[in-house]
Amino acid sequence: MHENAAENSVILCRSCDLAVRKRALPSGVRALCPRCGTALYDTPYCSVNGMLALCISALVFYFPANFLPVLEIHFFGSIRTTTVFQGAFAVFDQGYWVVGLAVLAAAVIGPGLLLLSILTQILIVKWGLSRLFWRNSLKQLLKFHGVLSQLTMLEIYVISFLVSSFQLSDFSDIYFGMGTFCFTMLFLVTLFLQREYDLEHMWTLLEGHR
Amino acid sequence: MKQQGKDIGLCLCKVCRQLNSSDLTHCQRCEAELHVRDYSSLQKSWALLITAAILLVPANIYPITMLTNQGQVRHDTIFSGILHLVHSDMLPIAIIVFTASILVPWIKIIGLSIYLCAISFDIPISKKKLMVGFHIIEWIGRWSMLDLFVISITVALVNMGQLLDAKPAPAATAFALVILLTQLAAKVLDTRLLWDRLEPQDDTN
Repeated sequence: MHENAAENSVILCRSCDLAVRKRALPSGVRALCPRCGTALYDTPYCSVNGMLALCISALVFYFPANFLPVLEIHFFGSIRTTTVFQGAFAVFDQGYWVVGLAVLAAAVIGPGLLLLSILTQILIVKWGLSRLFWRNSLKQLLKFHGVLSQLTMLEIYVISFLVSSFQLSDFSDIYFGMGTFCFTMLFLVTLFLQREYDLEHMWTLLEGHR
Repeated sequence: MKQQGKDIGLCLCKVCRQLNSSDLTHCQRCEAELHVRDYSSLQKSWALLITAAILLVPANIYPITMLTNQGQVRHDTIFSGILHLVHSDMLPIAIIVFTASILVPWIKIIGLSIYLCAISFDIPISKKKLMVGFHIIEWIGRWSMLDLFVISITVALVNMGQLLDAKPAPAATAFALVILLTQLAAKVLDTRLLWDRLEPQDDTN
């Protein structure tokens, strides 16, 4: 099989290594591996400006989401509040640093780095592709994108607000704070951003400028 | 066309999914190291999985939270916490917590060991079903973090000394490690090994 022809029309399944002939897909359709059912590719709808808008709005929500109170407890006249950031540090302070690190990484650092990485990638794609330094930076960012997007667990944190508020409502009155709203918005915007983002498309943008 | 990449001299980059010729040692696009098959990943995955299975025991028998309510101290394991939720008429929440902290870790560990056994000992189980199961495990694995998030919120919020006070307890660390290790075990495994081993016997499954 000729090398170039193979590279253009054949792809390999990442889970089972089956060679599959690539075909054009209508939009909104995903190609699955015929042997093992793993998602192979879809038609990317990846508008750079749309992603930039989503990324900036996610960053706007990021700081209030992490540093404004998310839950408020009213207990015999005293009011206690907590933020997502304090939550991670409270466990850390008790000596459970493994748990603290896990919470901090999944809820604060992961999303923050992911958003910053996507923002930098978009800015490089828009203005910096002609410089070698920026192309290399983009390459490094794209290599770490998979890890960062796996580290981001905003959806689970949103559910955990719900669970902990129900659990604590057994003891006293619980109120949601402004942070809860911002965190939920951060989750929604990041969700749409990640739907819009297509890693393969970003790689081809980098390739196309060689 | 039932050919595998390694038969036609092609190799997919694990990092950026670029198609490369198998004679190359590093990916042309992202310069990551290329492996046609990563046989050592099977051992790594087994090691991580066994460690996780061992840690699952302390995670379940030791208390995960310590709650002081008006002078009375209550130690809750994962399971007794859920029972407490059921008794206080919060069945939907109990189901969510049960799924995230008991069902998911067990499914992950049992599922991954079936998967690894099928590769290591050539057990003829339908490969397609195994692969679907593997993708489900990869996806649901992260949901176990729910319990840790709930603990961290509760601990930060409820600190009123003898009146009402929540603190994490030893099982929390073990549980965090179970999640981390099982996620890593699924991530390091080269799933292409499964499809090589069983290939000669049945091609259709």
